[in-house]
Amino acid sequence: MSFSGFVGRDDAKLALVLNAIDRRCGGVLFLGEKGCGKSTLARRFRRLLPRGIPFVELPLNATEEGLMGGIDLEKTIREGRRCFQPGILSRAHDGFVYIDDIHLLPVEILALTLNVQGRGENLVEKEGLTLRHAAEFQLLASMDPAENFLPPHLLDCFGMAVVWGKITEAAQRAAIVRQAMPDLFPESPEAGRRDRVLAERIGVARSRLAGMKISAGVEDCMAGKCLESRMAGHRGDVFLFYAARAHAALMGKDRVEPADVDAVTPLVLNHRRRQLPPENEPEQSEKREPRPPPENNPKDQKSAAADRQSHPGGDNQGDEKTLPEKRESLPMEAVFESGEPFPLRRFHYRRDRIKRGSSGRKIKSLSRDKRGRYIRSAERGLDGDIAIDATVRAAAPLQRLRGGDGRLVIRPGDIRYKRREKKVSHLAIFVVDGSGSMGAQRRMVATKGAIQSLLLDSYQKRDKVAMIVFRKDRAELVLPPTSSAELASRCLRQMPVGGRTPLSAGLLAAHDLVRRMGRREPGLRFLVALITDGRANHCLGGATPEKEVSKIAGLMRELPSTEFLVVDTENKAGLIRMGLAGRLAAQLAADYCRMEELESDRLLAFVQSRW
Amino acid sequence: MIFPFTAIVGQEEMKTGLILNVIDPSIGGLLIMGEKGTAKSTAVRALAELLPELEAVEGCRFQCDPGGKLCGECQEKNRMGGPLPVAHRKMRVVELPLGVTEDRLVGTLDMEHALQKGEKRFEPGLLADANRNFLYVDEVNLLEDHIVDLLLDSAAMGVNTVEREGVSFTHPARFILAGTMNPEEGDLRPQLLDRFGLCAQVVSVREKESRMEILRRKAAFDADAGRMAAAWKKEQTELARRIKEAQTALPSIQPGDDALEKIVKITAALSLDGHRADIVMMKTARALVAFRGKTAVEAGEIRDAAALALGHRMKRLPFEEMGAQAEKLRGLLEGI
Ligand SMILES: [Zn+2]
Repeated sequence: MSFSGFVGRDDAKLALVLNAIDRRCGGVLFLGEKGCGKSTLARRFRRLLPRGIPFVELPLNATEEGLMGGIDLEKTIREGRRCFQPGILSRAHDGFVYIDDIHLLPVEILALTLNVQGRGENLVEKEGLTLRHAAEFQLLASMDPAENFLPPHLLDCFGMAVVWGKITEAAQRAAIVRQAMPDLFPESPEAGRRDRVLAERIGVARSRLAGMKISAGVEDCMAGKCLESRMAGHRGDVFLFYAARAHAALMGKDRVEPADVDAVTPLVLNHRRRQLPPENEPEQSEKREPRPPPENNPKDQKSAAADRQSHPGGDNQGDEKTLPEKRESLPMEAVFESGEPFPLRRFHYRRDRIKRGSSGRKIKSLSRDKRGRYIRSAERGLDGDIAIDATVRAAAPLQRLRGGDGRLVIRPGDIRYKRREKKVSHLAIFVVDGSGSMGAQRRMVATKGAIQSLLLDSYQKRDKVAMIVFRKDRAELVLPPTSSAELASRCLRQMPVGGRTPLSAGLLAAHDLVRRMGRREPGLRFLVALITDGRANHCLGGATPEKEVSKIAGLMRELPSTEFLVVDTENKAGLIRMGLAGRLAAQLAADYCRMEELESDRLLAFVQSRW
Repeated sequence: MIFPFTAIVGQEEMKTGLILNVIDPSIGGLLIMGEKGTAKSTAVRALAELLPELEAVEGCRFQCDPGGKLCGECQEKNRMGGPLPVAHRKMRVVELPLGVTEDRLVGTLDMEHALQKGEKRFEPGLLADANRNFLYVDEVNLLEDHIVDLLLDSAAMGVNTVEREGVSFTHPARFILAGTMNPEEGDLRPQLLDRFGLCAQVVSVREKESRMEILRRKAAFDADAGRMAAAWKKEQTELARRIKEAQTALPSIQPGDDALEKIVKITAALSLDGHRADIVMMKTARALVAFRGKTAVEAGEIRDAAALALGHRMKRLPFEEMGAQAEKLRGLLEGI
C-alpha cells in the first residue's frame, strides 16, 4: 500500500516528507479522532525511506529496559559477568521512532524517550555497567486529543503537528473505505510509481540542503510569524527555519523564499500557540488588540441571541467581551497582575481524608500502589512487590561463584523491587460561569488568583489544577490539568466572557474530565469547585436546563474519589433570590460557600482545606 | 460436551455478530452488551465447537497457518529444512481473566528456561495463545485501562510487539475478539468501544413460550448431552456448511458503488468520528450477503449491518436513554 495513494491529508504527508528530507525538522505529531488513519499513514511513510534508515515502533507495553537497554540474562549467566542487551532506542539511530497513541504511553517512558532524543545519545548506568550509544532520531507520534492531553512542554518537543480534521465529504469517505479493502479495490500501480518518484525527489532535496541560500526578507518573515504566534521559547523559530529550508529543497529551489515559510508555518507553529485553534473557527481569545474594558451590566439574553443570529458565521464580537489583563477597579486582579501570590499559609492536602478514602487502612493504599504499571526495577521498594526478572538478573553474574549446581542461588542483596508508574495525587477542577451575567469578571479573576496561588504554593508538584469555563453554547477546558504555574498564567491571561449560561455543559465537562483522568491515573483524587449562581439557560439535549442540571448532578455525585464545592455567586442584595446554587450543592452533597467569601483568600483556603 | 450453538434460543444479534466475524475476521470482533446470565460465553464456545478444524503448523506456539504468513520460528524451520509438519485442530476459546497482568497478556521472558538452560526465550502470553482462535474477554469494562489498551492495540494490528525486560519479540496475533460488558457496571471510553467491530445487545427473553423452550432444551442437555448433540446434528452440520460456503464466496462479493454511497451517506449524516464505522459496515454487509447466499449488497444488508456496527459508535450524553443520533439513524435507515 502506497504513501502517495493515501486518500487526502496533504498537510500530514508534507510534514512527513519534510522530515524525511531533513531530520532537523524535529518530527511530527498527528492529532486526530479515533480511526481516521493516522497510524496507517505513518506506517506507509516507511516505504519512502531509503534502505537502511531505521523505522522502529515503540509499543505501549515497552518498559524502561526494553526502551533503553538492560542486563542480558543469557549472556550474563553464561559468562559469569554482567552483559548488556540494548533496547529499542539502539535500533533507532539516524532514523524514526513511531509511537501510536502516544497519550497512552506511561509518562515515564515518554519522558525517557524525549530525554534521549534531546541528548542525541542513550546512556544507561546500571549495576555498575555503562551502556552508551548514539541515538539521534526523529519522533513520529499520533494521539487522540479527545482522550487525553499532552502537556505543552511535550507538545513543543515536536517540530511539527498536524490536526486531522473530520472528513465529511461523501466521495472522499467512500475512497477511504475502498482504501481499507485492498483485496477488493486494488491500488493502481500508478500510486506505487508515484512513491518511487517521491522517494527520489526526497533524495535530491536532501542533497540540496547544504547549498541552500536564504532570500532577503525570509528571516524577517519568520521572526514575525513566531512573534505573532506568541509561543514560549525559541524552539519554534529553529524548527520553522529548517522546515522552510526543507520545503524549498523539495520544490527544487536553491534559495528559501517567504513562500516556503508560509507553506510550513501552520505545521510548525499551530501547536505552539496558546491553544490549538479549533477547526474552522478562529479563536476569539487570540485577538491581540486590547479591547476597551467591557461594561459591567449583564447582557440581556434576547439581545445576545439576536447578536448570534445576526452573525451566522459563528463567533462574533457582539456577545463577546474579552477580559482585559488589567482592571484597576478590581484590587484582586491587581495583586494577580503584579505576579504576587496570595498571601497565604502553605498548601497542605488533608491527609486524614485520604486515609479515610481507603478505609483508613494503610495496607490498602499500599496494595493500590502495587497495581500501577511496572516501569522498572529498583533496589528498594514495597515489601512483596518483588521484580523477579530483575532479581534474577542481579543474581545471574554471581551464579558461577556461588556454585548452585544448576540451581539459582539468590541472596538478599540480589532482591529487586518493582517501581511502578507514579500517580498524580490530586486534581482541583474549577468550573466557572463565564456567561454575561453579573460579576463575570470577578468570578474569573478570583478563580485565576486561586489557581495561581495553588500552583505557586504547591510543594507537591504532582498536584494539578484545571479550569473549565462554560458560556455561550458549550463548556471549554481553558486550562488542561497542569502543575505548571507558568502554563496556567499563559492559558489564563485572557478570558473571554459573555453569552448564555450552559451550566449543564460545564457540569458534564467536569464529569467527563474526572472520569477521564480517573481512568488514566487510578490513584487520583478530585475536588470540583463550581463557581456559579446555579442558574442555567441553555441545555445540551432536548430537556429543560434545570432537569439536565439535576440529572448530571446525580451522575456527578456517583463519581468516586471526588468532592465538591459550590461557590454561590448570586447577589445576596438582590430582591429576588433563587437559591439555585444551594440546591445544586445539596444535590451534589457539596460544601457550599458564598461569593462574598471570594473577596479574600477564602476560595483558596477552602480548596486547601477540602483535601 | 458443549451446548449446541443452533439450539440457543433467540439472541439473534449476538449469534449473527459472531458468525459474521468468523466469515470475515477482519470485521474486528464483537462486543456483547447485556445483563449477566444470558449465555454469552456459552454462545462463543458453542460456535467454536461447531466450526471445522483448521490446519496449523505442528508444534508452533502461535498455531501458524501453513499456507499463510508464518511466525519467525516457523520461517526459520522452513529455511532449515523443507515443508512444515501440518496438524489439524479446532479453534479454541482463549479466555482473558479479569486480573490478568501485562506480562501474562503480551508475554515475557521465560524465567524458568533462562534459569535451567541459561538461555533467554520468549514465553508467549495470552495474545499468542489467541492467534487464530477466539479471545473471550468477560466484562471487558472491568479490566484495567492499560490492559484494554494493549489488548485492543494488538487486535487492531494483528501483531503483538513486545519490548520488555530482556525480551524483544514480535508474533502474529490475529484473533476473533469477543468481549462482554454490562453497561450498568461502568462503561468503556468511546475510543475503546470503537475498536470493537460490532456490538450486539442481549436481553433476557421475555416471551413465556421462548422461556419455556430455553428451559426444555437446557434440561434435555443436562439430562443427556450426547442425545442432545445427536438431535441437533442436522442443524449444526447445516450451519457449519453455510459458514464454510460463505467464507468461500466472500472474496467474490464486490460491493457496488451504490452500496458504498449509501453507507457513507449514513455515517456522514451522523458525523461519526473516524472511518471505522464506514469500513466495518461495508465488511459486515458483505459478510451478510455471503451468509445469506446472495450476490449483491442490498438495502436489507446495509440496514442489518448498521444495527450491528453503529450502536456503540453513536454519541450519547450520559443521562440520555437514547441519543439524538440514534433517532436520526432510525430515520436514515428507513430512507434507504
Ligand atoms: Zn509458527
